[in-house]
Amino acid sequence: MKQSWRAICEKFTNAQNLTEVESLHDPENDPFRSKYKARELLREIYCSLKKNSPAGLRVAKLGAVEYYLGVNHVDTEELSAGQEHLMNCVKLLEKCRVSSDNVSLFIHVRNQLGILWAGRDETEEAQGFLETAESIYQRYMKEVRFELAYTHSMYYLAQVYKNLGQTERAATYCHSTLQRQLQLNQYNPMEWALNAATLSQYYITKGRYMEGRHCLAAATVISGLAGEVPSEAAAQESETECERREQLRQKRAEIARCWIKYCLNLLQDAKKLLEDNIGELDTDRQEELKNARRLEEEEEEKGRKSALLFGSEDTFDSIASLEEKVHCLFPLDFTEARAVFLVGQNYITQAKDYFQMDGYVTDHIEILQDHSALFRALAFFEEDLERRCKMHKRRVDMLEPICNELNTQYYLMIRRQLMFELAETYNEMMDLKLTLANRQADTQSLDNHTIKKFNHLCSASAKYFQMFLDSLCSPEGKFPEHLEEEVLRPALVARFRVARLHSRLISSSPPVQLDNLNRALENYKYVVQYCEAHPEAGAAVETELELSTEMVGLLPLKINRLKARMAANN
Amino acid sequence: MNGNSFLDGRTDGAVDSRERLQEFCFDYCYWSVDPADPHHASQEEVFQDLGVSVLAAASEGYNVCVFAYGQTGSGKTHTMMGTPDSIGLTPRICQVCQWIIIFLEIYNERVRDLLRRGEQKKRASLRVREHPEKGPYVQDLSQHVVSDCKQAMDLLEEGIANRITAATHNHDASSRSHAIFTIQYTQAILENNLPSETVSKINLVDLAGSERADPHYCRDRLTEGSNINKSLVTLGIVISALAQNSQMSSSCQSINSMASEGDGSTVGSHSSSLSGGGGGGGRRHCFIPYRDSVLTWLLKDSLGGNSKTIMIATVSPSINSYNETLSTLRYAAHARNIVNKPRVNEDANVRLIRELREEIDRLKSMLLSFEMQRNPSPSLSDERDGILSDIVLQNELKVTYNQRLGCKKILIL
Repeated sequence: MKQSWRAICEKFTNAQNLTEVESLHDPENDPFRSKYKARELLREIYCSLKKNSPAGLRVAKLGAVEYYLGVNHVDTEELSAGQEHLMNCVKLLEKCRVSSDNVSLFIHVRNQLGILWAGRDETEEAQGFLETAESIYQRYMKEVRFELAYTHSMYYLAQVYKNLGQTERAATYCHSTLQRQLQLNQYNPMEWALNAATLSQYYITKGRYMEGRHCLAAATVISGLAGEVPSEAAAQESETECERREQLRQKRAEIARCWIKYCLNLLQDAKKLLEDNIGELDTDRQEELKNARRLEEEEEEKGRKSALLFGSEDTFDSIASLEEKVHCLFPLDFTEARAVFLVGQNYITQAKDYFQMDGYVTDHIEILQDHSALFRALAFFEEDLERRCKMHKRRVDMLEPICNELNTQYYLMIRRQLMFELAETYNEMMDLKLTLANRQADTQSLDNHTIKKFNHLCSASAKYFQMFLDSLCSPEGKFPEHLEEEVLRPALVARFRVARLHSRLISSSPPVQLDNLNRALENYKYVVQYCEAHPEAGAAVETELELSTEMVGLLPLKINRLKARMAANN
Repeated sequence: MNGNSFLDGRTDGAVDSRERLQEFCFDYCYWSVDPADPHHASQEEVFQDLGVSVLAAASEGYNVCVFAYGQTGSGKTHTMMGTPDSIGLTPRICQVCQWIIIFLEIYNERVRDLLRRGEQKKRASLRVREHPEKGPYVQDLSQHVVSDCKQAMDLLEEGIANRITAATHNHDASSRSHAIFTIQYTQAILENNLPSETVSKINLVDLAGSERADPHYCRDRLTEGSNINKSLVTLGIVISALAQNSQMSSSCQSINSMASEGDGSTVGSHSSSLSGGGGGGGRRHCFIPYRDSVLTWLLKDSLGGNSKTIMIATVSPSINSYNETLSTLRYAAHARNIVNKPRVNEDANVRLIRELREEIDRLKSMLLSFEMQRNPSPSLSDERDGILSDIVLQNELKVTYNQRLGCKKILIL
């Protein structure tokens, strides 16, 4: 009996080895070779057990073998057979009492069935199995042995909740999974770091900056544990070193990008809180919020932090010190905003270092767009208009050359975004120049230089809106009769803006003024006519349509007056 | 099958004890089980419906992408490639074009050139990169110029022979990789009376069998399948899907009232969150560090913007394949919403609106004052223009010239 038991154990060890180790080396054209062999061994074990084991113990052991057979079939894409074996396992275990010996199996088999049912889109069935697994764990947990099984349960539950649309719970389970991985020291540092960084993005979209910051700080610290980046020289020598270098650099750059979004969203949310109805900083609200903040600060921090900490003894401190370097509360004035901006800018530099233009066009440009957005957000807090204008100039200088460098066919989408942003930025600068000029002069006079500057900015803005519109044309140069849903609003807004810009151009020459007004009218008319021809479009541009309609009615008046004056002066 | 609807029902209680009918709607439905059946759809018919629109779009300068997805053995390769006796979509399209062909395979996220010649390590994976001028490309991928359809067919066969196939208990030859056959052609056109060229691509994609359960295989983010991933290695996929979905729904009332981006997730991670600076409404944009699968990445420009995409889902008529069939249909139905359409985000620019309203008010009041001063006597209508110009000179505040002072006084409205 004993000998036969030992033989069985050896066979089992072989089967596990085949499944977990050997299978990794199976050739591409016979990828299940080892697992098929393992299956044979498991079947033999099953038969031996059935014949030779004493009845009582037999049940649990057979259950175990059924479990492994189940997993084996699922792994080799034979789902129905896999399910059968797994259900057999469940039935067999039902005959046993749950004990510390078999509780792990209780949990594992339900995990597997959970996965299987989820794969069939039967999320509620899946949830049933997984929640049972979870509650079994809760009742019997004492030993570290089951921790990993429980970590898996949590992970599967996270997925199920996500599929069921219960995102808040799913996020909590993901968070817990990550926590447990750290506590049990069962993780790959770089992977863990990326996952934590990704989770931070979830928190950010929910406006939970404290949790987001914690995830990011942990991500940065843990990613450091992945080791040094191999030097370029080492990378040249060996393909594995080369890959490792790529991987590490890329992933760290991605974490940097997550940080950028943290800083950017924090600034943008602060702006939304502080802006008045024309988009300027409301000093009263600023005062209000500053007062409120003093009161809330301490309470909040204590309350939330306790539940969520990542880390182990060595890492708690490093994570905390990284967190101290950037705020998680909304910046309420320029100094605070600038601090957040600088953190963001630092990560921009890091990210760009890896995601270079040649090789990573899209990523590189997204980073530049983020940089531009950081400037834009900071500009809101800047009181000095001259400095504000300079920030916008930085944005233009950054994006303009790129826009012209990109292949128009492959990067159509990105170019459109850049054009639109450039158009708006030039418009912003134009308004600032005017406000500055008007403030300086006591009589309302503008010198030639200012007019020239104003017109230049005005034309540049119009030019980019027009470029955007031109990008919608067919290869033969024809503007579409019908605008696709995703370009409908931007296209109509662009027309509207071009109209407005033309009517603002300054000229002393009446014929030029006339021309500008006519072009303005033409574009306002387009908006009105398009919405008449496509009634559903009106909903997308309500305000612009309303104003365009007014202007179509009123501009001819202005134009006629101008013509009359021109006639009178002759 | 009923017209364009595919009804999937089970009546026996073999594995699942549910009795219900599920309905899916598609643009075209084809039944090709039995050639003798009056409803049988031939390769020719599929080509007439789909192939012709592919060629038409390509000749207009669009990039086109055709995907075939379905359980192994349900007819993907038959549809896309066919047999010498019954040629499929790809060779039929080749018959019409003559151009540059590339043929690659993606297996486990590694790219292999199926038309490689000469000495190349079997496992060597080609790198995918992006160039500002050249666009996305696979480094060192061989390109083959063909001038007639036989050459194209030869390349197709050569590539197919090089694909990774495997024998498992379920099937004799299951394809475990994606294959992309790309026909690229350059068309000389006249743009503003200047000679120019447009490059068009037709991508024909044969997707790996849908029943794969490999835990290490990161399922393409072409669709958010509900498959639960076993390995914690894929925790990242789950978290990133969470973050992505959350990003979609985080908008507050936005001035930008564009419709939402379809249900559930979209293709591509960060590419769909491109924003030019935050937008006017309130959607929070974040960065999801989940690299697109190689497949999605390579076909990025095909999956949105200036391209047309066709997906063909192949299913088995066998009752035993019910679950896989359902899964395929769901995948395909979902795929209709995946088109990646990066948004242009614009500023609310409330200031502009306010200023324009003010100008409108000014113009209106001017109109009003002009009308009040209008001479009510009709006999003076001839002099209206004269009066008009007087009024203009009196009331016009827009521009006054003071030539003696040599500078312009301008009140900007």
